[in-house]
Amino acid sequence: MSRYSWMIGGAQGLGVDTSATIFGNAVARAGYYLYGNREYYSNIKGRHSYFQVVFSEKPLHSISSTVNVLATFDAETIFQHFTEVTDFIIYDKGVEGTNLDMVRSMEPEIAEQVRELLSKNGLGDTVKDVISYLEKKGVKAIPVNYLELLKRVADAYKLPLSVVERAKNIISVAASMSIFGFKLDYLKQAISSLFKNDLFIKFNTMAAELGYSLTENHYKLPEIPVSKPRIQVDGNTISAIGKLAAGLRFQSYYPITPASDESTYIEANQNLDMIVEAGELRKGGAVVVQAEDELAAINMAVGATLTGARAATATSGPGFALMAEGISWAGMNEAPVVITYYMRGAPSTGLPTRSGQGDLKFALNVGHGEFPRIVIASGDHEEIFWDAVWAFNLAEKYQTPVIHIIEKTLANAYSVFDEDHILGKKIPIERGKIVKPSGDFFRRFEITEDGISPRAFLGEASMFYAGDEHNEEGHITEGTENRIKMYEKRMKKLETADKEIPEEQRVNVVGDGNIVLLTWGSPKGAIIDAMDELKDVMMIQVKMFNPYPKNLMRKLLQGKSKIIAVENNYEAQGAQILTENTGIFPTNYILKWTGRAITREEIIEGVKQIVEKGEKKVVLSAGA
Amino acid sequence: MQEHKPVFVDWCPGCGNFGILRAEEMAIRELGIDPKKVIVVSGIGCSGKIPHFIQLPIGGVHTLHGRSIAYATGIKLSNPSLEVIVNIGDGDGLGIGMGHFVHAGRRNIDMTVIVHDNGVYGLTKGQASPTLHRGLKTKSLPRPNINDAVNPISVALSAGYTFVARGYAYDVMHLKDLIVKAIKHKGLAFIDVLQPCPTYNDINTKEWYDKRIYKLDNDPTWDPKVKSEADQQTKFERAMLKALEWGDKIPIGVFYENELVPTFEERIMQNIPNYLDYYPAKQEIEKNGESTTKIDELIKAKRV
Repeated sequence: MSRYSWMIGGAQGLGVDTSATIFGNAVARAGYYLYGNREYYSNIKGRHSYFQVVFSEKPLHSISSTVNVLATFDAETIFQHFTEVTDFIIYDKGVEGTNLDMVRSMEPEIAEQVRELLSKNGLGDTVKDVISYLEKKGVKAIPVNYLELLKRVADAYKLPLSVVERAKNIISVAASMSIFGFKLDYLKQAISSLFKNDLFIKFNTMAAELGYSLTENHYKLPEIPVSKPRIQVDGNTISAIGKLAAGLRFQSYYPITPASDESTYIEANQNLDMIVEAGELRKGGAVVVQAEDELAAINMAVGATLTGARAATATSGPGFALMAEGISWAGMNEAPVVITYYMRGAPSTGLPTRSGQGDLKFALNVGHGEFPRIVIASGDHEEIFWDAVWAFNLAEKYQTPVIHIIEKTLANAYSVFDEDHILGKKIPIERGKIVKPSGDFFRRFEITEDGISPRAFLGEASMFYAGDEHNEEGHITEGTENRIKMYEKRMKKLETADKEIPEEQRVNVVGDGNIVLLTWGSPKGAIIDAMDELKDVMMIQVKMFNPYPKNLMRKLLQGKSKIIAVENNYEAQGAQILTENTGIFPTNYILKWTGRAITREEIIEGVKQIVEKGEKKVVLSAGA
Repeated sequence: MQEHKPVFVDWCPGCGNFGILRAEEMAIRELGIDPKKVIVVSGIGCSGKIPHFIQLPIGGVHTLHGRSIAYATGIKLSNPSLEVIVNIGDGDGLGIGMGHFVHAGRRNIDMTVIVHDNGVYGLTKGQASPTLHRGLKTKSLPRPNINDAVNPISVALSAGYTFVARGYAYDVMHLKDLIVKAIKHKGLAFIDVLQPCPTYNDINTKEWYDKRIYKLDNDPTWDPKVKSEADQQTKFERAMLKALEWGDKIPIGVFYENELVPTFEERIMQNIPNYLDYYPAKQEIEKNGESTTKIDELIKAKRV
């Protein structure tokens, strides 16, 4: 499988994301599958951000440590990424004289590393020095006079230069398209479909034409015939769509990176088409409330569940921490709330715009007291959709909070996959034990064999909820006999869930080698993509951490020569949960806590170091 | 049919909560609302127990300390056909929950917030609540209170509550009338209920209040209701000024009433026109085990 990596970088706020989305869209039109990863500072304008797009004729799920073509229009991107480039660099001729000291937004630590590398090679610290470094390594440098080209665009449409400035992005995208050998038409189509304003379409199309003619077809990549529709989505969006499909009708949230985009997407698409009776279209609506804080966000959502609406919130670490008490109330009151937990670099504010898997144990233990918390984690964009649906079904069936973990990496990355992986498939809705009360009073917490009480909704009969220990009616009681039975009833739901949910659904297994790469969440993509170069490996991705698939895990891990825990954290928390549940310890570790995604090459290299060099633990660091 | 056993009311003898409980029950009865459609949401503290004690087949949601307004917001917005009453304590709603109290005013959801205002945290043995005035030393305090008090009326007014009133727990009929008005009011209503705590607050006692309380209605020219846009400023200013009156004379009654401000529900309807007819809790999201929500267009919009 051939695999190409392209990257664009620039100051935040100057259209890097948009151009990467356009590039991806155009490449997908040529029939390729792709995966794009977004990296950015916690900043609105000015700091370095970049987007890596990896594409291939087959679906793929990870980024690479190296970049075939690097598209730039500022100096910082060159300084930050030149060591990753293997084939081409597109750069602004106007910044050749820029040196490291002039790039004020760059962190001094990184600037020093660059200076050191260049001086070791007998070079100074300007962009021109970097270019000669690269040329010596066989990288072809393509200088572009952006200013001159932009002036032509501005003149043609009688617009001020400031308005057309962002077309620089498109010029570099177009030059890249030409190097790969993709048709200009695809780029033009992508521009037309992603820009809304007619004038923007026109001048960007002109910029595309200018950029395309700057370079020559080097890779001569063939078109891949496409037989069925494919979609390009990021994690925030596909989670939102999954939640709406699941019947979400109330979402409360407080702004936080990288979770908010999900809620704003839901609000933008809150008017829903529903077909309740065959052939009859009905308009539904999902209410979205921007709450005053995460305390309100969780408790509004929990309140909404009591009326029968499917309700959720979406947050990240700091917000999730504030939600702890509300989640405990939901556990005590058996409220089926869903919390989409976008995990990022912690502790505290940590790396607010980077990824992380350091909160798994927090998610599993959130809220004071003992109560069932179902925790699931998705490993790619398709999984996010189906897990979002699963989360609501689990919440209602077992009447308990469900935490759905999506890391920042997947939230902001996009991938292209076949539309029929979602559309045309049955979207199952299981609402559990819902009843219509027959009398004036309803015993919401009736003690049952499986721990699950029949559930009716506020307004249908008199019923009570209390965070205090309560009796079957929901009234406060501190009696010991009730305490024993009610507590057991709540906890029993987890046993019921454990019995009912097939363990095979809780684990993804790929391959059957003797070396197990044990992971969860986003590293799945890098592992799967690396497997074609690794021998005797097997990937085990845990999707549900509570209730934990302990029998299956024991079976899968039996007799394996190596169990390598691959995680985006320091402690290998997913592996710790394995040990807690099965007594099995991993033998080795591949860990990364820089907040950057694990690349395919890092997995290959990491496994080599463990298998061939006998390393116990490999710590990864790729990515600027 | 499942039976309902009466719950023992475990407030202290003489507690002002009894007056609030009776007034609330009477108001619900007088309005003739189907009790199961009435959802009483409460927080933590002595006031928080009120849903369990109401002698009517209502829905009761006894939530977290300070968070009852958030729960009520979720309940009301997902089922706007319910009549939602929030009973908060002064520590509960104006201390730990003050953020929600203020932000609720920005939304003007059609529900009622009643604060049990006794100046102390009762259930934790009498610490000063946010409404206890500076310099006062109730018998439960080790030293006189060194915090200034919040003024619930002026906070509610400036936060945007569109019905603002004060009642007195020992004038049950007057309080009942206020609750009736508050429930009928279109928008977010607030009643600050002065409520002696016979156990921990030996300063703001029944005797203390009885000497000072007077009814705003005694003044025939007092008309708190905003009738036109032009009226708004004057009525609001007058209410604010009246809110500051505290000491030898303490007014009770309606301070301000304004139905010209659109409710949150009306604002939602700007975006979801059939919201009130087909609200979140009413939507049939499942049919024969499958989703009824069609996401085809959302997915197709992402085609490449």
